[in-house]
Amino acid sequence: MIELRFHQELYDGFAIDEAVKTYASYASTELERDGGNYVVKVTATPESLASGIDERTLCFELSNYALGLTIERARGGGTG
Amino acid sequence: MSVDLGEGLVRVEFDEELYPRDAIYGAAYVFIDRCYVHLDRVADKRIQVSLKAKKPGIDSPALAGEFQNELLGQAWRQKIVEDNRQLVETITARALGGAAGPPGLDELLAMDIGEETAFDDPLGIAMSWEEKYKKKGKTNEAKGEEDVVGASATSGGEAP
Repeated sequence: MIELRFHQELYDGFAIDEAVKTYASYASTELERDGGNYVVKVTATPESLASGIDERTLCFELSNYALGLTIERARGGGTG
Repeated sequence: MSVDLGEGLVRVEFDEELYPRDAIYGAAYVFIDRCYVHLDRVADKRIQVSLKAKKPGIDSPALAGEFQNELLGQAWRQKIVEDNRQLVETITARALGGAAGPPGLDELLAMDIGEETAFDDPLGIAMSWEEKYKKKGKTNEAKGEEDVVGASATSGGEAP
């Protein structure tokens, strides 16, 4: 399990939700709020690990996706 | 200042007073296709950017330098946009006003045009040519002829 922390002033909560949903088939996740952070606990599913997906890379990808969506929404390009 | 943490991971800190958050977002977005980018707030008005190249063998300090250059460019572009915002808004408003063109049928129908609100026409421009130049003495004769022509046309139409 890897814990990702996203600061609330820098990341959009909706973007994090979307990122978690997007990678839901590769990992099980738990979302929490801790102080000024969104905390996402990521555990890669046995199937994705068996297919050679690295849990760390998965977390990096999820984090990148959340940041990309946050920036797009900050610039008014969000669809939600 | 950048810190190389090994494994291709490098961290750079920026002051939000010098580099606005939108500029940091802009630079991060440029790097997102070739790096894993993570933002964090390490102190008040200070943002930490973590960069990790997706492909191995990329020089981390060079990556941090490229990010700093991109950030400077983004901040400068943002300043130009802010400086020219009023000018752009004025030109856009004028262009849209001109593009709207004359009023449409709906607007004309919605206008309150009556005897009192109608425009003045001292030169008689709105008057028809016949109305303006016909001789007053011939008015009745012409009317009579029109009646005769109209009647014959009607009777002609009914003849077998």
